Formats: sequence, C-alpha cells, structure tokens
Amino acid sequence: MSVFLLIVVLLVLGIAGYVLGRGRALSSVGGNPRKLHSLPGYYGWHGAILAILPALVALTMWVIAQPLIIERQLADFFPAEQIENDSQRVLLLTDVRRVAQGLDTAVAAGALTEEQAAMIRTEFGSVRDRLATVGVALGSEVTPQVLQAAQRYRELAATGGLWRMIVTLAIALGGLAWAVRTTNGDLRARNRVEVVILGLLILASTIAILTTIGIVLSMLSETIRFSTMYPFADFLFGLTWQPTFQGNSELGLIPLLWGTLYISLVSMIVAVPIGLFTAIYLAEYATPRVRSIVKPLIEVIAGIPTVVFGLFALVTVGPFLRDWFAAPTGLGTSGSSVMTAGIVIGILNIPFISSLADDIINAVPQSLRDGSYGLGATKSETIRQVVLPAALPGIVGAILLAASRAIGETMIVTMGAGAAAKLDLNPFEAMTTITVKIVSQLTGDTEFNSPETLVAFALGMTLFVITLGLNIFALWVVRKYREQYE
Amino acid sequence: MDDLRIVERSVDTQGFKITARGVQVYYGEKHALKDVDCDILDKTVTAFIGPSGCGKSTFLRCLNRMNDTVSIARVQGEIRLDGEDIYDKRVDPVQLRAKVGMVFQKPNPFPKSIYDNVAYGPKIHGLTRSKSELDGIVEASLKKAALWNEVKDRLGEPGTGLSGGQQQRLCIARAVATHPEVLLMDEPCSALDPIATAQVEELIDELRSNFSVVIVTHSMQQAARVSQKTAFFHLGNLVEYGETGQIFTNPKDPRTESYISGRIG
Repeated sequence: MSVFLLIVVLLVLGIAGYVLGRGRALSSVGGNPRKLHSLPGYYGWHGAILAILPALVALTMWVIAQPLIIERQLADFFPAEQIENDSQRVLLLTDVRRVAQGLDTAVAAGALTEEQAAMIRTEFGSVRDRLATVGVALGSEVTPQVLQAAQRYRELAATGGLWRMIVTLAIALGGLAWAVRTTNGDLRARNRVEVVILGLLILASTIAILTTIGIVLSMLSETIRFSTMYPFADFLFGLTWQPTFQGNSELGLIPLLWGTLYISLVSMIVAVPIGLFTAIYLAEYATPRVRSIVKPLIEVIAGIPTVVFGLFALVTVGPFLRDWFAAPTGLGTSGSSVMTAGIVIGILNIPFISSLADDIINAVPQSLRDGSYGLGATKSETIRQVVLPAALPGIVGAILLAASRAIGETMIVTMGAGAAAKLDLNPFEAMTTITVKIVSQLTGDTEFNSPETLVAFALGMTLFVITLGLNIFALWVVRKYREQYE
Repeated sequence: MDDLRIVERSVDTQGFKITARGVQVYYGEKHALKDVDCDILDKTVTAFIGPSGCGKSTFLRCLNRMNDTVSIARVQGEIRLDGEDIYDKRVDPVQLRAKVGMVFQKPNPFPKSIYDNVAYGPKIHGLTRSKSELDGIVEASLKKAALWNEVKDRLGEPGTGLSGGQQQRLCIARAVATHPEVLLMDEPCSALDPIATAQVEELIDELRSNFSVVIVTHSMQQAARVSQKTAFFHLGNLVEYGETGQIFTNPKDPRTESYISGRIG
C-alpha cells in the first residue's frame, strides 16, 4: 500500500473516529448533550485525533527511517574499497535505486513478471537493454553487484512497505479503539483537543525558527570550510576583490561592503524623506477620500517585482543620469552607477516606509493632538513637536527595516549598479555589492571546493550578520521607547 | 452633602467673560446642541452637568473652537469672549485657544520631559525671551498646579512616568503656563482616584482667583463642591442655569429636579 493510500485510509479512520466518538459520548448520557463535559463535536475530534495523529507520527518516522536502514543493509553487497568514501557510496546507492525503480517500471509495464525481476541475472543478457525497452534509460551497463543490490532493495522495500502498512493501521485502529473505550460523558474532551491545537501552534512556530537555524548552520559550515582555504582576515579586511579561476584570487570584502553600504545610503536618502512626508500627508492632512485613493496607489509600487525595477534602472534611470548629470559634469560615463541603483531601490522602499510610518502615526492617540491644539498649537507645530516625537521609535524601526531591505536587494543592483568591485567616492561610478557577487560566484559551472565559490557563503554570512544586527537594533529601539505615550 | 445647604455663595465677579447666544451644533445630521444661551462670569467656576450625550462637552468645545478639528461638526450662533465674536472670520482659532485653555478628561501629557510639557505652550507662542524667564514660567505654573514640590527634582524625567493624578495636574500646569483667560475642563477627574480628585478640586478653587473656569462633570457632588454657577443640560438643551446652591436645593425646572434626585440620567 502506498503512503498516499495509507494517508487516505487514515483519514477514513479519522472520520470513523469522529462519528464513533461523538455518537458514543451522546449515547453515554442518553442523548442529552447538556450532561456532557464538552460539546459533542469535541468528542468527535478527540476520536479523530486519536485515530490519526499517533499513526501519522509513526508513519512519518517510518518513511524517514526505512531508506536509512535499507541502505545500511545494501552496503554488504559491495567490497569495502568501493564504498570507502562518501561520494562513491552515494553514487552507488543512487545506481541501485535507479535500477530498482527500473525493475519496478518493467514489472508494471508487463515486460517482466515479478519472478523474472527477482531472478534476472547479468549473465543472461544485458539488463540495460531489457530496461531500455520499457523506457528506463540507464547511463551504463549494470554490474552484477548493483543488480543484486537492486533486487535486494526491492525485496526489502516490499517487506518494509508491508510492515509499514501493518504497523500504521494497527496504531490507528488501536487509537480509535482506545478513544471509543475511554469516551464517556465525563471525559474532558475539550481540554484534550485544545492541547493538540496548542501543540500544532507550537510546531508551526518552531518550523520557522528551525529553518532559520538551519540556514545559519549551513552557511556557517561552508564559511568555516572557506576559512580553511583562504585566510579569513584577508577576506574581512582585503581591499581588492579579484577572483581568478587559476587560484591566487584576492577576495577582499571591503570593496563589496563599501558598494553595498554606499548604495543603501543613497537609497535611504531617497526613501526616508519622501516616504515620511507621504506618511505625514496621508495620516494628518489627507481627507478620507484622497487617502482611500492615494494609499493603494502608493502601495502598488510594493507589488512590482524587483526585476522590473531593475529594467527601469537599466533602460531609464541609468541613461538619464548618465546623459544629464554624469557626462555633463565629467563624473562618469557609465549608465550603471551607485546613483542609479540607489535611487531605484529608494523608490522601491518609499511605500514600505510610508505605509509603516502611516500606521505608526495613526497609532498616536488623538488625545495628544487635542492636548496640543487645546494649548493653541497649529497643526504643523502639533505634528512636529508632539506627533512625530511620539511616533519616532516606530518610525526609526521602519527606517531600519527598510535599510536592511536595501542592503539585501539583489536584482536592482545586478542590473543597475554594475559589476566592478571598486572603492570610490564618486556616486556616478559603477560599483558592486555583496549580493551581486554572491550571485556571480555561484552561477555557471562551479564546484563547491574552491575558495572562489565558497567565498559566496562567507559573503552571505556577512550579509546575514549585517541585516540581523540592523533588525535587532530596530527591535531594540522600538521596544525601548514603545510605551512612552501610553 | 453639607455644602448643598449653602444657598447663597459669594460670587465676586467682574461681569461676563463669555456670552453665548443661540448656539446650535450639528454633528453631520445630528442636532447636538439646540439654541443655547449662556453667560459665563469672570473669576468664577461654572459647572456643566447633565446625563451623557446631553451636549455639555459639545458646548464646552465650542468655547475654544475645538469643534473645528472635528470635520463633520457645524456651529451656528454667536459666542463672544470679552465682547469679541470668536467665530468671526478674522479670529485665528489658534490664537483663541491660547486665551481659552483646555484640560481633558484623560490625562494626556506629551511624551516629553515634565519641563518640556509645561514649556510647550510658552515656547510655541513665544512668550519668553530667555531661558531663565521660561524657567520662571515653568516653576510658577507647576506651583499653581500644586505639583512643584513633587517634581522639582526630576523636571527632566518624562511626564508619562507620573501617576494619574500628577499627570492631570501636569496638564493643568501646561494649560496655565500659556496665561489663558478662561480654563475649560472636560471631566478632569473622571480618570482619577478620590485623593487625586480632591487635590485637583482644591486646585480648581485656587485657580478661580486668576481665571474663569468652566468644568464639565458627571459628579453632582463635585459640581456642588467646586462651582459657584451650574448649568444643567438635557438632550441638547440648556435646561437651567443659575447659582449652584439654588440649582441643587431649589431647582425651578422639574427636569433638573429629576436629574439631581437621580430619576433621570
């Protein structure tokens, strides 16, 4: 029985558990639901959960564990020197699985009977040709060991599948029986169901955290590998970025970091005033009608894919800046520049800042504004001296979040900033950023064992640390000053 | 309720401060205040009482044009402050509010230091020329609000860190600092405990020597304790207006009598 079918059967058992649990609870009190501890539906859910949940957990563990156990058994088929090193072993096992799948397909297509598939030997003819007739292409001729291992694999998988079904169904039925047996009017079904819901909520939140930890660990391990191949101090403080594929690369972080921070700075200079003024206008001055039109329009910007912004930078902003500012003043001749990328990222961030700041300004209590008006302050004085100071922590938080978005932005800088790693103050010069270099070091045919490739992970780690630091700082600012007006 | 028996109260007035004639207020379609005539005396505490939604706060907010900040509100009629129509086009509501200060129901100190809270009004109106002059106003205002002794050593701390009663006295100090001629108080004690209430009431009585005070209150005992004149509002009408003692002991209108004896509310 396949896993999918098993899950369907479990669901059917769950429905049975619901009906039985509910019915039994009601019959135990003579059909009067007021005598039950919980609503009848809770007894139903209790039955369904006991039928499904333990069996599902067992099934999941089985599905994870079975391949590991089978692979260990298959190791006996191969001489020790063939599976000595990890990558060889993985390759052999992949072959075995592929042949086993081929045999499965052949049996399913009717080209082989079940016995033939179990008995087939390399001595009687090419297994590769036999399988090719049913549409299973193998890269090379099958060795006797691989074929035997594949046949063993099929046997084990079949036995495993059988036991998997037996165990899962036994647990499901057991759970169902237990639920039915324990159900009576006094069972605290509601509390039990709520414990399961709580568990579900905790599980959901754990997944996000575990993913983050997983990302950090995988980057960390590659970064550590990188540091064994390339001196880490040279990476952190090197002033030259010059990867070559013959070795002897110079992989200094500083030019990339400079490009990243410079572009982010330009983007914040664009986004902060415009976004903030937009928010003040929308929150304090705009009539509800204007607000209902303008706010969604601004937020449309947030929905545009960044690659489209990249095109805008490439074909519109870049040439415009070059022809009207850089070339006439003699500052540069390149359409790709810090200014191009910075301005476009800034535009991208305007709705982010304006929308967050608008919410924060709206959250300032009306009583503070009344207090200020009541003292004879004008609207503008009230905004500058009362509303904005009260909203400041939230606004700073919004700005820092926008900054970490600018630092992590990839597509716009790839298309608008250029690819030259340079340390320069001229904003009309093409520069590059950490994100661009991560992409360029990892695209194409690369092997994950040279410092030129692994540096991407170290760069990613750097970026992660910077944005994490900014986010923590933003949270700290918001939390420290949050309740000031309450 | 001893004080209710004092029918005659000393009212040392120098004539009318505010005169209102035929004031109507609409909130959108709702006719919130109907044809109110009222004269408010100088250097007197005037209390507005009445059940919720009777228009007493609405009328109070007309007196310093706070209703201008509510977009759907419409005010008709005539309100004169020292003989000058405050709804005249030439009058800047911002200037008016400097003369007619306001204290709100919920203490609303700004998220600034205690000093900056009090200095806010004088700063925006340019009342002072030097730091020492400003310091003087802050100290005098805090003293008037009976808060100086409690906060003089921590003027730099945020005003939001004070207790509820202290916060409300800070708001009073803030209103006093702009040297208003009239002080409007919209249920200033409803968010305070009895001790803080007593302090604020004592303060209101002292403020009478300098300002004309108008107070909206839900507590009839409070109106009886602090005011010399009382106005009773009901369903948007000014039902009765007179000496506090007379209103509470010998009301002329049956509706007033029903309200103060607790039959309507």
